[in-house]
Amino acid sequence: MAARSYSRLRSLTASLRLAILTFLADPQWLIPSMIAPVIFGLVSFMLFQGTSATLVLYAILGAGMMSMWGQTLYGSGWATGQDRNLGTLEPTLTAPTPYLYVVLGRVIWNTISGLFGGAIVFAVVAVAYGRPLPLAHPLEFVLLFVFVILSLAAVGIVFSAAYVYTRYAGFIQNIGEFAFYVGTGCMFPIVLLPFWSNPISLLFPPTWALDALRVLAIPGYQGLSWGFWGDLVGAVATTAAYLAIAGTVFSRVEKHVLEVGNLKDW
Amino acid sequence: MSPSPAIRTRNIRRAFESRKGFLFNEVVRTEALKGVDLEVDPGEIFGLLGPNGAGKTTLTKILSTLLIPTEGTAEVLGLDVVRDAARLRPQIGLVLGGERGLYNRVNARENLRYFADLYGVPTAERSRRIEEVLERVGLADAADRRVEEYSRGMKQKLHIARGILHRPVMLFLDEPTIGLDPKSARETRKLVRSLVADGVTIFLTTHYMFEAEELCQRIAVLSRGRIVAKDTVQGLRRLVGGDRTLEVEGYGFEDAEVNALRQLPGVSRLKYEEFGPRTRYTLRVRTTELTPPAIQASLSGHPELAIRERRTSLEDIYLDLVEEEAA
Ligand SMILES: Nc1ncnc2c1ncn2[C@@H]1O[C@H](COP(=O)(O)OP(=O)(O)OP(=O)(O)O)[C@@H](O)[C@H]1O
Ligand SMILES: [Mg+2]
Repeated sequence: MAARSYSRLRSLTASLRLAILTFLADPQWLIPSMIAPVIFGLVSFMLFQGTSATLVLYAILGAGMMSMWGQTLYGSGWATGQDRNLGTLEPTLTAPTPYLYVVLGRVIWNTISGLFGGAIVFAVVAVAYGRPLPLAHPLEFVLLFVFVILSLAAVGIVFSAAYVYTRYAGFIQNIGEFAFYVGTGCMFPIVLLPFWSNPISLLFPPTWALDALRVLAIPGYQGLSWGFWGDLVGAVATTAAYLAIAGTVFSRVEKHVLEVGNLKDW
Repeated sequence: MSPSPAIRTRNIRRAFESRKGFLFNEVVRTEALKGVDLEVDPGEIFGLLGPNGAGKTTLTKILSTLLIPTEGTAEVLGLDVVRDAARLRPQIGLVLGGERGLYNRVNARENLRYFADLYGVPTAERSRRIEEVLERVGLADAADRRVEEYSRGMKQKLHIARGILHRPVMLFLDEPTIGLDPKSARETRKLVRSLVADGVTIFLTTHYMFEAEELCQRIAVLSRGRIVAKDTVQGLRRLVGGDRTLEVEGYGFEDAEVNALRQLPGVSRLKYEEFGPRTRYTLRVRTTELTPPAIQASLSGHPELAIRERRTSLEDIYLDLVEEEAA
């Protein structure tokens, strides 16, 4: 048993290492992943320019979230899509380690690069604004920020499973991306959405995490009105649910693809 | 008491469903394997031959836990390929080969290191093991180049290196020498034999008959999802009707003469091919009595005959079996 968990941890680090090496082999990919956060940051700054500092903060939190989605969530699904594209899904699945650990390794890398994306948005807005943004509780804010990324990663793992399942996952994810921006309140408060959609938004960990971030950073912010701790509980619970789902989904998806035999399709 | 087989399959069937047409309206069902029974002994090199689309890769993938059979069961090293896949995987190696299946943006060493970690190759041994397999497949000099720069044959070598990296007890090789230059192909065959000397059991598919003849103790011929023959090369020779093959080439044969040829003692099979005005008859011959002069004598009206004698090759056997099955 000890030997087994050891090899899982090794697979995770091996996959993290490969993700970094793959990235370093072609660092020009950094440019699009940097440009998106800069644009998100500038657009939200221009939209809310001249309004109160807290409103700007509200907007850039959403913008930061959107760019982190791109890096973390989209990146996690995309990496599995790459395994399909390269034809490496087959040899990886014949290896004794469950594929989930390979995905986790990549998710860690995407999380780190997602943090960069979020930081860029902040930097861009701070420069445009001319001074650092007023944060009510900087330390808690940063910790929560890391947790936000982890919650995104949890959703990303579920998306990876979709890529193992079918080569059409990219299509689903592209539609999902827009739904995500709107549904989790990145773009505007979810209370503005039709009432029926609110419970759906609450199924996404980032909805909670983003609300908690805003509660923390913006004095007097109401949001979902469960307060910081309520948000945090919601975020942790939904993230845990996603991770649990990912675990079972992965073993089922693995079985499914071995039945269908579409592993090599691209 | 015979040792338990390295591979044993019972009535393996495998169907694929694919969709055709816009909006996926028509489901096409292909039966790739229609009931395959096989046994492979530990320590042997078992060869699987068959035309394109016969189901060789499908069977290889089922045995190496990459596909689940639609029906039937298979045991490899005494483990069920579906139920015990997790326990089986560390013990088997699979080389599917081809242009895909490698991480192109990193070098060969990094590709191998990644899979060494996934297979739990002891960390202390990892570097040595990687150098060893790179050396064995002849990639040591190119090990630091990115795989995207590799030629097709170099990629094939890297596939083989990955397959043996974790020292599997059972190795599946799907067309291992495809795309290799003659020297590399020969070295790969040498490598295969050295693995067997180390006690590895090998299941190999190939379209190169001489390769199968050179390497394999036993051979099965798969055609349209069914095993049409399985035996040693010598056994297959008997099956198709003889050790000896005589080729008779000439012009303007009469039907009666062809019938006479067919009736000669020891002739078990007669085929013909036309080359413009010339016709070549190929005879499988069971006995040693029928000699070229005897044939020349029976076709006395054709002084211009060219008669060649050779040993029936695996290619002859293969073509006989596959043509028979198609008929
Ligand atoms: N994923 C798939 N979906 C649909 N049909 C498939 C799939 N994989 C294989 N087949 C079909 O199954 C049959 C057997 O294919 P397989 O690849 O096993 O043949 P093969 O003997 O390896 O051929 P080759 O010598 O060309 O490699 C073929 O008719 C093929 O079209
Ligand atoms: Mg094949």
